[in-house]
Amino acid sequence: MKRIIACLCALILCAAAVSCSRTDRADDSGMVKIRVVTSLYPLYDFAGKVGGKRVAVSLLLPPGVEPHSFEPKPADIAGLNKTDIFIYTNKYMEPWVGDIMKAIDNKKVVLLDSSRGIVFMEEKEGEDSRDGGHDEHKQGEHEGHGHDHAGMDPHVWLDLGNAVKMVDNIRDSFIQKDPEGRDYYQKNADDYKAALLALDLKFRNNLGSCKKKVFINGGHFAFGYLAQRYGLTYVSAYGFSPDAEPAPGQLLKIVKLMKKLDLKYIFHEELLMPRMAETIAKETGAQLLFLHGAHNISRDEFEKGISFVDLMEKNLENLEKGLECGQKR
Amino acid sequence: MSIMDFLEYGFIQRAVIAGAFISVLCSTLGVLLVLRRLSLIGDGLAHVTFGSVAVALLFKVYPLYISLPIVMASSFGILKLMARARIGGDAAIGILSAVGIAGGVLVASLAGGFNVDLFSFLFGNILSISMEEVYTSIILSLIVLAVIVFNYHDIFSITFDEEFAKACGINTNRINYMIVLFTAVTVVLTMKVVGIMLTSALLIFPAVTAFQFARSFRNALIIAAVVALVSLVCGIVLSLLMNLPTGASIVIVHFAVFIAAFMLRNAVSREKARC
Amino acid sequence: MRAEAIRVENLVFKYNRLEVLSDLSFSVNAGDYVGLVGPNGSGKSTLIKAILGLLSPSSGRVSLFGHAASDMKDRERVGYLPQKMSFFNPNFPATVRETVALGLVSTKKFPKRMGSGDEEAIDRALEMLHISDLKREMIGALSGGQQQRVFIARALVNEPEVLLLDEPTTALDPETRDGFFELLGSLNTQKRVTVMLVTHDLGTIGKFAQKLLYMDKRIIFYGGFDDFCRSEEMTRFFGSSSQHLICHRHE
Repeated sequence: MKRIIACLCALILCAAAVSCSRTDRADDSGMVKIRVVTSLYPLYDFAGKVGGKRVAVSLLLPPGVEPHSFEPKPADIAGLNKTDIFIYTNKYMEPWVGDIMKAIDNKKVVLLDSSRGIVFMEEKEGEDSRDGGHDEHKQGEHEGHGHDHAGMDPHVWLDLGNAVKMVDNIRDSFIQKDPEGRDYYQKNADDYKAALLALDLKFRNNLGSCKKKVFINGGHFAFGYLAQRYGLTYVSAYGFSPDAEPAPGQLLKIVKLMKKLDLKYIFHEELLMPRMAETIAKETGAQLLFLHGAHNISRDEFEKGISFVDLMEKNLENLEKGLECGQKR
Repeated sequence: MSIMDFLEYGFIQRAVIAGAFISVLCSTLGVLLVLRRLSLIGDGLAHVTFGSVAVALLFKVYPLYISLPIVMASSFGILKLMARARIGGDAAIGILSAVGIAGGVLVASLAGGFNVDLFSFLFGNILSISMEEVYTSIILSLIVLAVIVFNYHDIFSITFDEEFAKACGINTNRINYMIVLFTAVTVVLTMKVVGIMLTSALLIFPAVTAFQFARSFRNALIIAAVVALVSLVCGIVLSLLMNLPTGASIVIVHFAVFIAAFMLRNAVSREKARC
Repeated sequence: MRAEAIRVENLVFKYNRLEVLSDLSFSVNAGDYVGLVGPNGSGKSTLIKAILGLLSPSSGRVSLFGHAASDMKDRERVGYLPQKMSFFNPNFPATVRETVALGLVSTKKFPKRMGSGDEEAIDRALEMLHISDLKREMIGALSGGQQQRVFIARALVNEPEVLLLDEPTTALDPETRDGFFELLGSLNTQKRVTVMLVTHDLGTIGKFAQKLLYMDKRIIFYGGFDDFCRSEEMTRFFGSSSQHLICHRHE
């Protein structure tokens, strides 16, 4: 019995030690860097690309954890107290931001809403993102309301145009905190935006003339913005959060749609077991293809240092296959 | 769409078939567990499973190979705690449950993250059952039910009065460990097929509903199984007709059936009292 | 020489280092009727459980019909009535018939099934306790006294050679209690059933039991009831007025 207690204590101490070391990028020179904490993987990647050597970025979400149900722990909040800038996606993705900021004593922490200036789409429960009246409201219209997260689709970063705006927001916050680095940040941001826009062009070209215009995800409604940008139709089995149970009606609708349009592929997403996609595939004879929603990455991916652009390139490849696009690569 | 149309879909057929076997299995085990005040063992072992899967992912081993032994060991742990630490089943379950979750969280920290979301890995859904899971459900149900039927009298004896059973020469340890072991395996496998919400409900509701009406122990087992099957089918039909989440619909039907049974029993006994 | 039904040799039982039974040695012959008495906490129930093999002795030996208690296989030869159970769940869905049947089937060897003649045995046991009309009732619906009779029937259903009864009459009303003692008496005299009965009621047991085992962690007295009444030692132990009171009731 005593040995068991000793082992447990040792485990607890180890875990405490390990979890204290955040997932940080390596610190090379002795320069004082801006400390940045990001809440979601794409922000982590953007911040790293823009900030380069002048920032130390960390990611709040541990690898492999599904972000829609994530809530920060006391240790996370303690870590936020010591940071310079805390970047979050938007209030629909991280509704807990408001409360967390109240818990942070350090008033000098700069809070950045990376989606500032981005136009949101209304939440669609796995429906066609083109018809059914997608109302795009300016974010400003909703400002005074104070409710919110049920209503808007938070997955803005998957529209590369939005990603560019997010990069700008990040760059501006870095410049404000560290005016001396203005030129450095400007250049990095420009370079990265160019890469994003080049990728965007590639998407437009390759997805311009495809046999199929509809893609289906056995997971949750993450790719609405992407679909909208390239004129595609997107349907998902679950709504916004993959935790809820799907209703059978949605499944049947998807099966019928796939049969009607003769869709040969169905997509599944990162980190979630593709149970629903497999069920639909079995029902329709379709094949599975992978689409990465870039919310968060797995431990293996993190260790390999994968980037947002890498993920999107792979997505493009799979979309081309799934939509049966004519372009040869 | 009529019911017959729905039944043409493979995933609905699998939901009904696997669901039926799992319902009868869980309802039977549930009768034994509820009588021993171990009703929350489903939840408790689910938490342990969470911890065990974290360990498995840490070592990059296929989770079931680690989960099953750990959960089985935990179920023994519950019995041992009850005997040695002189605490009730509920407290013993609580202990293992908390350790399971905390252990999982600690291990998750140590592991530095995973390659899949743990919850997505652990918790299945009745609408997304694969053919392998149907086979597993059928085989598991048949084995456990066969063993229970085979040992029916001993199990009844021990559940009713363990001390007397022991005095009669029944090997109470063997049977107790066996029941708890079966529960462990059932919880892990069932959770992965239909999710923990449904698993827990199946272990509790049919039993308590049966107790409202049972005229004997044998009756209780049979009523529980029938109630479980009827609730399953009604729940699935309800969710199809009204486009509601299926697992939750089944649980609500279970609850409604229990309430109906309870009210009916009260009405009947009031009638009797009046005579 | 009559066969020994129960033999206890130097039995010591410790519970959490507390000695509950100290070096007990005695034997009970087939056909004896022994009243086991003693104050609360004297270890009477513990002794019964040790005899049944439910508890392992810290040291010493217990044998039933010549076999070590824990090894004995022919459990149908022993009938047991546990002390009225505090843990007994009255909501347990079991009928009287099922409860009594447990006594029968639990002692069987593989395969355990109700066989021919079993149903009649249950009926006979219920008849002996005058509860035949309760056969199909749920045990939770009965009064305390009726439940106790069901458990006694359960102990008797196998027609065992030895009966170990732990406080069988506490829940019974006087009339039922007398009937029960008559029944036990006739089983003992006519069928030579060995009876060991734990009771608080020293006076009543004197009427029926031929032997008395008075204990308080160790044996204070073991012998015939008459010897008990004549013993000076007992007079000193209980005080003469108590002894007189107890013995006076013995006819």
